[in-house]
Amino acid sequence: MITFTFNGVELFAISGQSVSAALLTNNERITRYTRINNSPRGLFCGIGVCFDCLLIIDGKPNQRGCITMVQSGMTVEIQK
Amino acid sequence: MIINHQILVLGGGPAGLNAAKYAANAGADVGLIDSGVRLGGQYWRHTGDISVDHAMHHNFDQGSLLIDAVLTNPQIKVYLECQIWSVSIVNDSIVLRSLFQIFQTQKLIIATGAYDRSIPFPGWDIPGVITAGAAQALLKGSGVIAGKNIVVAGTGPFLLPVAAGISRHGGNIVGVLEAAYKTSWVKGITTLIRSPFKIVEGFGYIKTLRKNKVELRFGHAVTAAHAGADGLLESVTVANIDRNFNVKSTYSLKCDVAAISWGFTPDTSIAGALDVRQRVNHDGSVIIEVDDDQRAIQSNALIEIYAAGESTGIGGSELALAEGAIAGLAAAHDPGISNQLRKLRRRAQKFAHTLSKVYPVASGWQSWLTSETLICRCEEVTYQTVREAAEELGAIDARGAKLMTRCGMGMCQGRICGRSISDLFDGNQVDRIQFASRPIITPITLGELAQEGLL
Ligand SMILES: Cc1cc2nc3c(=O)[nH]c(=O)nc-3n(C[C@H](O)[C@H](O)[C@H](O)COP(=O)(O)OP(=O)(O)OC[C@H]3O[C@@H](n4cnc5c(N)ncnc54)[C@H](O)[C@@H]3O)c2cc1C
Ligand code: FES
Repeated sequence: MITFTFNGVELFAISGQSVSAALLTNNERITRYTRINNSPRGLFCGIGVCFDCLLIIDGKPNQRGCITMVQSGMTVEIQK
Repeated sequence: MIINHQILVLGGGPAGLNAAKYAANAGADVGLIDSGVRLGGQYWRHTGDISVDHAMHHNFDQGSLLIDAVLTNPQIKVYLECQIWSVSIVNDSIVLRSLFQIFQTQKLIIATGAYDRSIPFPGWDIPGVITAGAAQALLKGSGVIAGKNIVVAGTGPFLLPVAAGISRHGGNIVGVLEAAYKTSWVKGITTLIRSPFKIVEGFGYIKTLRKNKVELRFGHAVTAAHAGADGLLESVTVANIDRNFNVKSTYSLKCDVAAISWGFTPDTSIAGALDVRQRVNHDGSVIIEVDDDQRAIQSNALIEIYAAGESTGIGGSELALAEGAIAGLAAAHDPGISNQLRKLRRRAQKFAHTLSKVYPVASGWQSWLTSETLICRCEEVTYQTVREAAEELGAIDARGAKLMTRCGMGMCQGRICGRSISDLFDGNQVDRIQFASRPIITPITLGELAQEGLL
């Protein structure tokens, strides 16, 4: 077990999991809000193709949660 | 620093792994590139924890043997977590760029695989609506079940292992909805079971679904998704559809995840950038055209480009393995490509062709759309906007609609919506191929480029 934060809240994850998988395990399904309609989005294709699971990871925006491995101490935030 | 290899293989799934292995065994110096953290591609996606992987996979032994053979071969250098975002031909060499490396070669083997085919419907952008492949990737790659109450829907033999995998690992499948009718589905499954080529792994899944009392419905599809007050998926509209996908009657089903797939779309992104010839396959998808040696068609005589696996047509892992072996040997100029190998490939291709007829996606899906339904998820372009482009602005094809509405111009570069937009326009072949061609393989932001000192 490792810990990371999502919007400032500490969550548990298993190392080797993707960020998307770790968020789902913690019942977090919304990764970003869209630019035009401000509607919520989450994981869709799961393999790095659709760019719907974008998050701010360790301060960097536009990171795909589905192909980024969760790390101990990682900070993950919803992208608006 | 520029990394040179005699042969570069892009993609570490079944096709790319076998290509690298065969080319290296024929004496070539090979570089194998994949964006993932582990080799194996979609089929042998794994967590890296052996006990978990064996429980998740029907035949992980074959995969781990091949992966080990590649990792321990001194002739092969493996580059992981290495997403290629741009490719070009510079001074008669093929140049591939990731954020951190530049690769150069005279011989490239494209083995970039495929992704789930999605078709638009009202609510398909609600968090909780995912592809069947996403559910599979979560399970195989992270050991996670996508939700509490899961609907699996769409069409094709892939729905079964996805549903069975979730069910076997304790997930609750509230229904499997197959759009094909039972008579043709039974024909398809019988073909599958009798064939030596497994398009999807293992057949235990039918037993698993029966044992766990999972309901399998034919001639049914998810035609709308609905969110609760929290913005998350709460239920789907399930329709009883006719053979043309027109709705006969509907009911509602509660679920927090709907995993939906309409077959696969080959990933040929790299072909457009390299000016490699593509064509429209029998199932309507755009593929890289190859000859009997898996060699792709392009005009520069000083370079060689080959392609293998799903990027040359959907056919499953065994076809990908056979094509990879032939591409690897051909690229290494090994004269030893056996007739047996070619025969195996031909039979597997024929089988894939037969099977694809069992699971057609009929045009009636367009009747599920409402004016507000998003067609392009990235740029949030609605059906109404696309229709206006056609009816009022005179767009006659997908490329015209793209210029007028920005559909297909977002981050995914039309990978998700491209096929559907060209279907909406009853796309001619040239339009379809050009819509699928993009100069950049994977979009990265200018900020990322600047950060890595590339700007
Ligand atoms: C999400 C998903 C899940 C699937 N799960 C199964 C399954 O469980 N069972 C089954 O029988 N079939 C499954 N399939 C079908 C699958 O396509 C075939 O079984 C098989 O994996 C195809 O082999 P391949 O070598 O052609 O491609 P793939 O296995 O898809 O391998 C292609 C590889 O290329 C890499 N790649 C692509 N573009 C780039 C780039 N620009 N830079 C770097 N690397 C790149 C990808 O990361 C990937 O690892 C799945 C397909 C998808 C899309
Ligand atoms: S879910 Fe599609 S890119 Fe991550």
